[in-house]
Amino acid sequence: MTKSIDLMSDETLMEAVKNGNLQQASVLFDRYNKRIFNFLARMTMDRDLAEDLTQNVFLRIIKYRGSYREGMRFQSWIYQVARNVFSDHYQVAKNKTSGFVDVEKMGDTIMDSYESHEQDEREKLLHKSLAMLNDEQRELLVLTRFQQMKYEEVAVIMDTTVANVKVRVHRALQKLREHYFQLERI
Amino acid sequence: MNMEQEKLASRIIDYIGGKLNETDKQLIEQELVKSSEAYKLYEQLKEVMQVMDSSKELEPSAKLRNDFEAFLRAETEQGKKSKTVFFSTTWYKVAAAVALLLVGGGTGYWISQQNRQQNELMALQKEIEETRRLVLAQMNNDQSASQRMLGVMAAYESVQANKPDDEIVEALVTSMNTDSNSNVRLAAVEALSKFAAEEKVRKALIESLSKQKDPVVQIALIQLLVQIKEKDVMKSLKQIIDDEQSLPAVKDEAHAGIFKLS
Repeated sequence: MTKSIDLMSDETLMEAVKNGNLQQASVLFDRYNKRIFNFLARMTMDRDLAEDLTQNVFLRIIKYRGSYREGMRFQSWIYQVARNVFSDHYQVAKNKTSGFVDVEKMGDTIMDSYESHEQDEREKLLHKSLAMLNDEQRELLVLTRFQQMKYEEVAVIMDTTVANVKVRVHRALQKLREHYFQLERI
Repeated sequence: MNMEQEKLASRIIDYIGGKLNETDKQLIEQELVKSSEAYKLYEQLKEVMQVMDSSKELEPSAKLRNDFEAFLRAETEQGKKSKTVFFSTTWYKVAAAVALLLVGGGTGYWISQQNRQQNELMALQKEIEETRRLVLAQMNNDQSASQRMLGVMAAYESVQANKPDDEIVEALVTSMNTDSNSNVRLAAVEALSKFAAEEKVRKALIESLSKQKDPVVQIALIQLLVQIKEKDVMKSLKQIIDDEQSLPAVKDEAHAGIFKLS
C-alpha cells in the first residue's frame, strides 16, 4: 500500500484529493513542504513568517482543491499558489513591501549555523545582496539556483516564455553580482 | 552596464553553466585570456553562482507538520459531518473546555433551578469563563494562521445561535476585518453567518463589506448578505460596482446580489 502511494504521481494524488480523498494531501505535503518553505523563506527572509505562509499554501491547496485542473502539472500549480500567498501577504500588510528588509539583521534570522566561518560570511553577504534585489529578481534566482528549477518550469509558473525567463535570470544574476561585490568592499 | 557588457556577462553565465556549444565556448575562453575585465567578471559571477548552489536547504520546524496534520484532520472530519470540528491532541484542552461549557451550561441551569449547591455553580461558571478565554486567546495567536483558524471554528462551536456571546461575536468581527490571513477572515464570515439573525451582527457584516479589499471575502459577504435578504446592503453593492478597483468577479457578484434583492 505504502509502496504504491510512493509511486503515484503528484497529479494522481491531487486528483484523489480533489475527489475527496483528503488523506492523500499528506503525501503531497511530505513531498513539497520543504521546498515551498525554502522558497518562501528566501523570498520573505523570515523563517517564522515563511512557516506561516507555507501552512497557508497547503490550506489553500485543500480548501480550493476544486480549482485544480486535470492535466495541470502539480508542481507548477503549488508554486503558483505559493506566489499568490506571498504577494497576498504583502498586499494585506500594506506598504510593508518585502523590499524593505532590514539587511543588517536579516543575515542572522534566515540562517542557522554553518560549517566554516568563511562559508558563513559568504552566505551572509549573499543574503544581504539578495535582499537588495526586487521581488521578481529574487524569485527568479531562488527558483533557478536555490531550487534548481529548469527555465521551462519557471516559464510555466510565471506564465511567460523560456527566452524571457533566461534574459531576466541573467539580469538578476548581474544585479546580484554587483550588490555582492559592492557589499564586500564595505 | 551597456549592451555589449550585458551580452558578454550573459555569455559568461552560460559558459559557467556549461550551456555553450564548442565554438562559443572557445570564443569565450579566448576573451577571458585576452581581457582582464572579462576575467574579473567571470570570477565574480562564478563566485555568486557557487555560493547560491552550495547554500544549504533550510529545515522547517516540527510545528509546520503538526499544524498541517491538525488542519487536515479537522477538514476531513468536517467533510464527514459538516460543521463539526475535530481537535487534535494539542486541542484536547480546548475541546474538553468546550464540552464542559455545554455540559456545564445544562448542569448549571438545573442546579440553579434547584437553588442549591451554590459553590458548584460558581465552579462551572469559572469553567465557562475559562473556555471563552481559551477560545479568544486562540483567535489572537499572532504566530499561526491555522491556530487562529481552529480558534474561529471553536468559537463557532462554543456558542449557541440563539444566544450569541458578545465577546466572541466581537472577536469574530475583528478576525473578519483585520486578520492577516484570508482563510481566517473567510472562516470568521462563515462563523458569523450563524448569528445573522442578530441586528448587531448584520450591521457588522454590511460595514465589513464596505471595507473589505480581499475579493474572496467580498464575495462570501455578498453571498451571505443576499442569502439573509439584507436590503440595507444595496448601497455597499452599488459602491462596489462603481469602484474601479473591484475585481470583475466581485462586481458580477454584486450585480447578481442587487438583482436578487430587488
